[in-house]
Amino acid sequence: MDDIELPEGMNPEVIKHIMYPQNYGKLENPDGTGVAMDEKTNEFVIFTVKLAKDGIEDINYATNGCQDTVVIGSMFTEMVKGESVEYAKGAIAKIEAKLGVLSPQQKICADMVFNAFVASLINVSNLAQGEKEEMHVIKSEESCVIPEGENNE
Amino acid sequence: MNKLYQIKHELWLDILYASFAIENSEIKDKLYDFSMIAFRHMKWLGGDILEAGDDYNYDRSKMLLKRECNFDIFKYLIEEIRAAQSHYEESTLTARITTDEIYLVEYLSALLSNSTNNEKITAFNMHRTLPNKNLDALQTDSLTIFLFEESYKEYELILVYAYMQARTDNLLHFNVFQDLIDESHFHLKSFGNMMAKMGILALPRELHELTYKITDIEKFIIDGIKEEENAKEQCKALADAVNDTELSQFFDFINYQENYHIALMEKLLPKK
Repeated sequence: MDDIELPEGMNPEVIKHIMYPQNYGKLENPDGTGVAMDEKTNEFVIFTVKLAKDGIEDINYATNGCQDTVVIGSMFTEMVKGESVEYAKGAIAKIEAKLGVLSPQQKICADMVFNAFVASLINVSNLAQGEKEEMHVIKSEESCVIPEGENNE
Repeated sequence: MNKLYQIKHELWLDILYASFAIENSEIKDKLYDFSMIAFRHMKWLGGDILEAGDDYNYDRSKMLLKRECNFDIFKYLIEEIRAAQSHYEESTLTARITTDEIYLVEYLSALLSNSTNNEKITAFNMHRTLPNKNLDALQTDSLTIFLFEESYKEYELILVYAYMQARTDNLLHFNVFQDLIDESHFHLKSFGNMMAKMGILALPRELHELTYKITDIEKFIIDGIKEEENAKEQCKALADAVNDTELSQFFDFINYQENYHIALMEKLLPKK
């Protein structure tokens, strides 16, 4: 794409995350599985994680949500893979700094991504305490609904 | 889970997205026809798997690789078809699949023997323009997001309806699912070809089983109708936003088709 002049508007990095989402799918035999679920719209984000002593060994996500969720999930997993859990907890703020001011809809998408990640850690903890929990689910309080008259950029 | 089903699912997408990526309309149309045959292979294979008491899912492991020219695509398809064939066990279905695929390999090999068929691929270069259209940055962004959202959605609908169709004994439901699948194939084709023209062709994301293992069909249909209504709004908003007669007419046409999807989906709801 070196000889192609990209148009103004959407950040090419964002387009790349949409075209080729990173860490997308599910891990085999994860240590934890977490879901953020919006029961009003049936949208979900699901995380599978493998933890090592010093942090997040591997991480995958999947969603049936909008492209904002896809981009934030891709950026988030790329940022936290190989990092400590503490670092991961602050990663959403770093993404916000990278993307600029998030719209209310994008904030809800970011919350869905982060909640699914947190749910996967809760699942790890619950399993370690002997609970039989296939996945931990956090229900979303707000819906990612596009307000009338706005597009979902 | 059935590995052969996954291989056939990935092969269907390989052929389908090859048809989107290639500009030559004769080759594009031929590959699209083959992709529809490959989809039927997948459907028949799924039926056989269920009949044998086994199951399948929609897991995938392959990405869509960027290709620079037509010949790279043709060679890749031939390799993938041959790799798939090494997994077939003898049956009436695999005999049919094999003869279809041999014919496709012959077609691709014939294309490879003529260097004028080796055109440059521009479907992945992210130029985000359409021939003879002068869209501003905001219109281009709106169209870009719409195409990503809706191409994923059509792929999702094709697979979700196919999953339910394979598991219903109700003839009315079977026929409605088939109509909805056919409609979504057409929409996916329209959007995929437009994405390729804009240089943003990308595979839709893999479906997680939470998406297609439906436990409450009535709720699924009611939610699906809401989604169709939302898709109509998106089409209408885009038709208004693009400020181009030809594109607006196209998105209005898609919007009006969604009306009948809703009517079809209502047939799936229990009679009150």
